[in-house]
Amino acid sequence: MTARTWLTQPAALMLFAALCCASVLIGATPIGPGALASANEDVWRIVLSSRLPRLAALVLTGAGLAICGVILQQIVRNRFVEPATTGGLDAAKMGMLIALTSMPQLGNLPRMFAALVFCLASSLLFVTAIRRLRLRNAVLVPVIGLMYGSVLNALAEFYAYQNNIMQSMQGWMLGDFSRVVQGNYEVIWIILPIVVASYLFAHRFTIVGMGADMATSLGLSYPAMVTFGLMLVAATIASTIITVGAIPFVGLIIPNLVSLYHGDNLARTLPLIALGGASFLLVCDIAGRLVIQPFEMPIGLTTGLLGGIMFLVLIWRKSR
Amino acid sequence: MTRSLRTLAVWAVLGALAAAFLLAGAALDFDYVIPRRLTRLAAIVIGGICIAWSSIAFQTITENRILTPAIMGYEAIYLLLQALLVFALGAGGPMLLGANGNFLLSVAVLLAYSLAIHAWLFRGGRNNVYFLLLAGLVMTIAISALTEVIQYSISPGEFALLQGYSLASFNRAEPAQLAIAAAILTLVSVPVIRSLRTFDVVSLGRDQAISLGVDYQRFVRLHLGLIALLVAISTSLIGPTAFMGIFVANGAYVLARDHRHRSILSMGCVIAIALFLCAQLLVEHVFNYRTTVGILINLSCGLFFLALLVRRSERA
Amino acid sequence: MISVQSLRKRYGEKVVVEDVNLDFPAGKLTSLIGPNGAGKTTLLMMMGRLLARSSGEVRLEGEDIAVLRPADFARRIATLRQSPDFNLRLTVDELVAYGRFPYSRGFLTAEDHAAIEQALAFVEIDHLRRAYIDELSGGQRQMAFLAMTIAQQTDCLLLDEPLNNLDMKHAVGIMRALRRLCDEQGRTVILVVHDINFAANYSDHIVAMKGGRVFRAAPVAQVVTSACLRELYGLDFEVSARPDGYFCNYFKPMGICK
Repeated sequence: MTARTWLTQPAALMLFAALCCASVLIGATPIGPGALASANEDVWRIVLSSRLPRLAALVLTGAGLAICGVILQQIVRNRFVEPATTGGLDAAKMGMLIALTSMPQLGNLPRMFAALVFCLASSLLFVTAIRRLRLRNAVLVPVIGLMYGSVLNALAEFYAYQNNIMQSMQGWMLGDFSRVVQGNYEVIWIILPIVVASYLFAHRFTIVGMGADMATSLGLSYPAMVTFGLMLVAATIASTIITVGAIPFVGLIIPNLVSLYHGDNLARTLPLIALGGASFLLVCDIAGRLVIQPFEMPIGLTTGLLGGIMFLVLIWRKSR
Repeated sequence: MTRSLRTLAVWAVLGALAAAFLLAGAALDFDYVIPRRLTRLAAIVIGGICIAWSSIAFQTITENRILTPAIMGYEAIYLLLQALLVFALGAGGPMLLGANGNFLLSVAVLLAYSLAIHAWLFRGGRNNVYFLLLAGLVMTIAISALTEVIQYSISPGEFALLQGYSLASFNRAEPAQLAIAAAILTLVSVPVIRSLRTFDVVSLGRDQAISLGVDYQRFVRLHLGLIALLVAISTSLIGPTAFMGIFVANGAYVLARDHRHRSILSMGCVIAIALFLCAQLLVEHVFNYRTTVGILINLSCGLFFLALLVRRSERA
Repeated sequence: MISVQSLRKRYGEKVVVEDVNLDFPAGKLTSLIGPNGAGKTTLLMMMGRLLARSSGEVRLEGEDIAVLRPADFARRIATLRQSPDFNLRLTVDELVAYGRFPYSRGFLTAEDHAAIEQALAFVEIDHLRRAYIDELSGGQRQMAFLAMTIAQQTDCLLLDEPLNNLDMKHAVGIMRALRRLCDEQGRTVILVVHDINFAANYSDHIVAMKGGRVFRAAPVAQVVTSACLRELYGLDFEVSARPDGYFCNYFKPMGICK
């Protein structure tokens, strides 16, 4: 472990803690630190039923998506992939759409399961195809992933148009945390065991990133590890899409930024990636709540714009 | 089958499709039905030529047969523009400008966008088409998020209108726009036809083309600019067509069985036009308008793209 | 004659070619040799205008090549990279015809047809003219690309590892054809080659590079010595100069392995 990592980690933790506090205190009814101490019942009700669930959802989603990004990047061996650029989001959306129209009486869990199954199947297909394609240029992988996503989208559209649910389909895709309140977001806690599992297997995912031949010669069951990784990814995507919708770029930017300064040894960098993802979402969320008070911008938009700009700067610097 | 016989057969199929489109169920009504259909046929021809030329030229320049210029953010920009018009001016927004106004505004905005990303990425002589692609891709994600927010916040009636713009259709083009589009297309065709043979050399690869005396940098810039113009015309005229370019180009390589762009480009035009006609006929006579041309084309060309991906990965 | 003056190539901080000054003798065959990463291919690509230089000049008959128009340049210098892989279905004579593009921009004249025939005959692949490139063996394909470059009728040819992945028979065939290009037609041939024995036996002149700089540039006899090669490659050599050619033994040089 380098001196740099030791230095960065406390700083990152402090920043993260500050962001958490800000997230709890900022909102339609601003809460001063004093109000919390006064044990006012109304204040505590807001905090417990809305602010803390939202904080938990933000942190879990941010960490989960960032880790998804890095796992996908190891499996595909390409820095530019994440759920939005491998068709994962679109497949999950299609699964949800089909569950919603064919069995509308079902609750959140079966819907999430449908999203998970579709996302896993489509990711497996994509990963297999892309590994065999041997593209000459790294940039082509996300390009093809995005096109693959729009094919899935075209399928969903064909289906949605005939069932007349185009607008509502667009609606639940957009990432938005304002719907998160106590009682309807708990599914997202599934990300916690996923984060723990990915940390336990971090070393193996680093080896997976070295390729099938190398992994096999190091005694790792490559297909099993890839499937396991994609399952973690699919479960994360499905649970976030069902509770908060699609959030692009987190899985792309955070792992790239971390790897720029701390390298690619996941056993070491995974905590930073998780922390970075959570902090990034907190920043986007706070910004979205402050810019057009008392309304808020959906987080899908803030991450899309902020993340897009950051990513363009990143590739621009790399290409120089 | 020899080359000329195959060409003849392809053209015969195209003629039959066009005749079926014009005449099926029209009861030879020359006052209303057939003139309306002729207008749509013109839109189909112009749109088809734009799509075929832009995608084949783009694939030659990028030396890759599974790409299309449509993914560089053009369609996202177009949809955002339409959404903004609806959002700012209400359901009458796009109409308020008049069909011509909207068409010209769309072409202008798309060209401005393409100039902006070219200028940004080609600064200091760098000439990397792949970074252009990646930038376009990122723009697509970011811009789509913005469009979705707008779509989320408008009324269902306005949404239905917007949805009309997000799917390809031949009904929105009117004679005046078609005339403008045809004029631009004629202008573009001069440099394209003049560089047909240079395209053949460029398909040997960048290094070989430079070694054979092609001013590569200049060629790429000129033709990326023309491609932007063609995409702008086709998108403003008939809406987004996403994958159609990939299908058209790959079909042209197979059917033309000739490496020369003279044959590939003309075959591409024939395929694009035939595909549009087939989709329109299917929507009218088989699906009875339960789906749209845009959705049908996205679906069929999307599935083709998947098949191409799988087949290529099996061969590799 | 091509000459290179204080030519440099760097990528950010990394220097790939540093301060190279060379004169390539006209009408001779010059081999660029050296260990991996010595900058041979980079140097060749800058001479062929395929890669932008960081500083310095490449001069053709005293004129900076940067000022030449692309079409004029292509009539004076032809470059062939390692057998390009492309998915075009072209026949051999269609490929060779592309070599005439700098002259006729694709509209072939009688003169062009004569040049194509001559090139096909020169590398002795007349019988393959109707065959498709993607159906040929690696050696035949390399011959076809060489024919295209010959049909370009330039005074100077630059070739990047033309022997890569070829069997011995085809490698000898390529080298003999290049030798004849110099001897019979007076063309200047410059190539990157890894096999020291081919370089020693077919070249007039050798440029040895190491670490981005010119290590030695001299006629063959002065470079192909055990002392020089040992220093260049960090490997023991046993060089025997015979009347019929050189033999450089670095596999099991005598006195090292018994």
